[in-house]
Amino acid sequence: MLEINNLHVQVAETGIEILHGLDLVVKNAETAAIMGPNGSGKSTLSYILAGHKGYKVTQGDIFYNGQSILGMNPAERSALGIFLGFQYPIEIPGLITMEFLKVAINALRKARGQTELKVPEFINRVKEIAKRLSISMPMLKRPLNVGFSGGEKKKIEILQMSLLDPTFCVMDETDSGLDIDALKIVADGMNRLRSSQCSFLIITHYQRLLDYINPDTVHVLSKGKIVRSGDRDLAVYVEKNGYANIIGVSCG
Amino acid sequence: MSARAETIRQVQEIGVDQYQYGFETNIESEKAPKGLDENIIRYISDRKQEPQWMLEWRLSAYNRWLKIKEPTWSRLQYPPIAFQDYHYYATPKNIDQNMLPQSLEDVDPELLVTYEKLGIPLREQEILAGVPEKDRVFSENLSRSGHVAVDAVFDSVSVITTFKKELAQVGIIFCSISEAIREHSDLVREYMGSVVPVADNFYSALNSSVFTDGSFVYVPKGVRCPMELSTYFRINERNTGQFERTLIIADEGAYVSYLEGCTAPQRDENQLHAAVVELIVFKNAEIKYSTVQNWYPGDKEGRGGIYNFVTKRGDCRGSHSKISWTQVETGSALTWKYPSCLLKGDHSRGEFYSIAVSNGYQQIDSGSKMIHLGKNTSSRIISKGISAGFSSNTYRGKVSAHRQAKNARNFTQCDSLLIGHDCSAHTIPYIEAKNAQVQFEHEATTSKISDEQLFYIMQRGILEEEAMALLVNGFVHEVIQKLPMEFAVEAQKLISISLEGSIG
Amino acid sequence: MLIDRTQAEEAIIENFLNSDSLPNLLFPREMREAAMAAFKEHGFPSRKRESWHYTDLRNKLTRISSYSDDHNDGRPILPLILGNVLFSVVNGKAVSNSVLPPVFCTPLALSPSRALNILRDFSITNVISQVNTAFASDGWRINVQKDVFLDNIIEIQNLQNGGQSHTCFSVSVAEDSRATILERQLGDDQESFLSSVSDIDLAEGAEVLWIIIRERGILSTELNRFYARLDKGARLKLVIINAGLHLLRQEVHIDLNGSRSDFQLRCINLLSGESHADTTMKIRHFARSTTSKEMIRNIATDTSCGVFQGMVQVLPTGQKTDAKMLCQSLILSKDAECHAKPELDIFADDILCGHGATFSTIDRNQLFYLMTRGLTFVQAKAVLVKCFIKEQIEGIGQEDIEKALHGVLDHWLFLHL
Repeated sequence: MLEINNLHVQVAETGIEILHGLDLVVKNAETAAIMGPNGSGKSTLSYILAGHKGYKVTQGDIFYNGQSILGMNPAERSALGIFLGFQYPIEIPGLITMEFLKVAINALRKARGQTELKVPEFINRVKEIAKRLSISMPMLKRPLNVGFSGGEKKKIEILQMSLLDPTFCVMDETDSGLDIDALKIVADGMNRLRSSQCSFLIITHYQRLLDYINPDTVHVLSKGKIVRSGDRDLAVYVEKNGYANIIGVSCG
Repeated sequence: MSARAETIRQVQEIGVDQYQYGFETNIESEKAPKGLDENIIRYISDRKQEPQWMLEWRLSAYNRWLKIKEPTWSRLQYPPIAFQDYHYYATPKNIDQNMLPQSLEDVDPELLVTYEKLGIPLREQEILAGVPEKDRVFSENLSRSGHVAVDAVFDSVSVITTFKKELAQVGIIFCSISEAIREHSDLVREYMGSVVPVADNFYSALNSSVFTDGSFVYVPKGVRCPMELSTYFRINERNTGQFERTLIIADEGAYVSYLEGCTAPQRDENQLHAAVVELIVFKNAEIKYSTVQNWYPGDKEGRGGIYNFVTKRGDCRGSHSKISWTQVETGSALTWKYPSCLLKGDHSRGEFYSIAVSNGYQQIDSGSKMIHLGKNTSSRIISKGISAGFSSNTYRGKVSAHRQAKNARNFTQCDSLLIGHDCSAHTIPYIEAKNAQVQFEHEATTSKISDEQLFYIMQRGILEEEAMALLVNGFVHEVIQKLPMEFAVEAQKLISISLEGSIG
Repeated sequence: MLIDRTQAEEAIIENFLNSDSLPNLLFPREMREAAMAAFKEHGFPSRKRESWHYTDLRNKLTRISSYSDDHNDGRPILPLILGNVLFSVVNGKAVSNSVLPPVFCTPLALSPSRALNILRDFSITNVISQVNTAFASDGWRINVQKDVFLDNIIEIQNLQNGGQSHTCFSVSVAEDSRATILERQLGDDQESFLSSVSDIDLAEGAEVLWIIIRERGILSTELNRFYARLDKGARLKLVIINAGLHLLRQEVHIDLNGSRSDFQLRCINLLSGESHADTTMKIRHFARSTTSKEMIRNIATDTSCGVFQGMVQVLPTGQKTDAKMLCQSLILSKDAECHAKPELDIFADDILCGHGATFSTIDRNQLFYLMTRGLTFVQAKAVLVKCFIKEQIEGIGQEDIEKALHGVLDHWLFLHL
């Protein structure tokens, strides 16, 4: 279970505060959606959960399964099962995707006290997932994300998510830049993982993705705070009426 | 302290002291007295039983050297070199020049242990080569990849050359330069100094007067050398200068891939190394020359280490000829080295792929020169510099197209990576075009390892040191790929060792 | 230690003996003597001096046009844009009497040197400072006061028809002010030799657009040094168009001393005949989060030669620097030459620096395409060359200036292609 208490977060470089006392609980196997207008702090929330150095927590805490994760680096958080699907996956020239996946999966297995995955087994697992996501094997022999289209990058994120056995996935605008076919494939990847008791925090601007992944809870983030929480209907309401109403109510 | 700051601290503390090849071999050796004068040159020439013309060549080079000033234009900073304090000749004592070992049984076992530590596959090869009816076995092996013929140079003397006979069967001459001077005098006389003139620069003149050993390769017309040729150089003696001289000739349509590797044991005194390498390529021929250099870089205070002043130049004499230089430079206290190509033949091509890693107090000033003289010539330079610790890493390169070099093309990419804030990186390219039909593109970047890339990789559960190692490997990947397979792994390992602590 | 002096060096030394009438207020005689002493010791630099490698002044300057302190030819011309406030120097003497409150301006001959920020360094490669200090006769001191947004463009004219002149310009822009300065280097086809030094200080938050247009004759040699220092958050955009000259050395030295200061350079060298234009630049990032971007475009026709040497240096104090430099050359004739030496000199790790250089000629396919649409060879060539350079003057944000600069480019293209 993820529990965020009164979280205040600044941009480390400038000291500008982005999150002003955010509270949020996501239970085991729950799928929560965070919606909000541009600049509300959605991406900051995803970065701070994964431990990005560019952001500083000045107040409050984040607990994962009862343990504070604030002192942990990104790799340690990843070992706990926290996975971040990036809005803009990073290109890394020279680092072959397949090689990277192998290092990552074995680093995590080691941290989780599991034995190293043998090469044939590793390749079979990748092949199986890649096939499901219609990712071609030659693509995995190319440098990580370099020259991939927006849709391809998002699929590679889902591939990594499926491979790395996470227990809590933060998906930052995973639906942006996807055509309808890719969106279905991506949603399918996420739904499969849902059935294995993984929790999700889906960060999205529109409710498009939520047509395919039915969230248990929906939260509206505005100006660094959760201003309204509800169920699926809240997302539908936002889609129909926009944010102004909700944000206005909270300010008034 | 963050993990990154911690790793930087570790580089500074342990990086350069963990020189893996810092063992010393206890072999009695015979040295020339310290210092350099005409008598020492006569001594060297005499010990090597050289013909008269060679002695005269050396003496004339020596007299030219006396008149040339030591170059000061590089970014290297070092106390004046006391040229009279070096031994210009040292040889393991039980090696008689007349009786060079014909098999490994004749070689001092201590020496073999040394080479084993260095990972040179000498003994394996000798076992192969020792099989009766080896000719038949060999002809099978010829078609197989993964075979390497080795010429091993210990201080001033070549101690063994493997696969010599087998290569001779296809007409390839592969031997030490000393032997070539005696046995293939005409070839040596015709080509030595024809690419790097004796008085080209201070160090080439010094080398020409006192060079001790090195390799000689001649690949005749139309022959593709069936295996990698390789030389390992090792400086063992104290206060010894090593002056390697290598000459490789690829006749029309020939192909050869050659690799040199260098190590030196840990020493406090700076040891001097001034090599000259000349490549000559005729019509449709190609030479691929790879270097893995890990001379002792000095300790963490910057004491000791090799001074490495190298003149390497290739001459594309014929049309459609090609030279490709690949270098992985991780060692030496000072590196002064600019492998170059003279693109004389029409449609000739030059390539330079380089990884230069500096740590501790190492200083590197290296790069390439591509001189376009013929029509439709092309060249490519990919240089990856990594500086860590207190080191200084300079790329210095020149690309020029002369009046007649119509349609000259060049692509240059030089990237520098900084690890830690006490090191520096410098990029100094000279780009010159003297005709309207050139197509030159040059790109350079300097940066540290990207925080965003590091974050992305660590988010996938990979710890910082390993994440850094992956990023460094990615940074140099394009050049590593250019190395012969057998050495790519070794090179990658070397880079990790020289950046130990910072990238895991 | 020079053994043989060239004719030009002899002339310079000889001229100095006849320079008693130079204003002592600007530079005291001792300072001039010191500058001349340095020149006597070093002479004109040859290609053996690294920073003069592509401009062998010693051999290129075979002779120097005559020196006289009462040379009198030419007068200020109309400002490039109506409404510009004119500060002219003709043959080394400040001539106009423009007044532009709230700007303090005065001819330099009447300014004591200690009131100036002009920095003098007579080191071996800095021949421009040596010659300029020894002979400087006049120029302008222009101080823009605090919190001023100047609507009018300050137009500096440096006009030299034949003979010699040596001028200085000292400009300071105080906190949070904005100014546009147009510097025109003008002259006819008589043989002339001049040096010009500009020293610029931008205080915190100051913003300056500085444009240099050089239209000199085919026998004119100019040594120019532009040195600007930027304080916190200051911004300088420098646009240079060189459209006429015989031999030019344009040095640009920028010190980014204050954090978040920004320097932009857009330079166009239009070279024809036997012109030799050398743009040598050194940007020093001393402070945190400073940024710079330089774009240089050379067009070389006939037997001309374009040289660009640019160094971006990041000092250990310059963390978070972002610097980009790009030099592109279009060589249009078989006897023209271009040389580039873009350097990065980095002593800080948390930075992003890059440079690029390309040399090429006109794309034949593009040329062919345009000609199939009815353009003549010359027209098509002119269109493509214009496309290559016009980007440099776009985005200035002041329509009348952009229009005037387009005029300068079009005029050159018309005459030389």
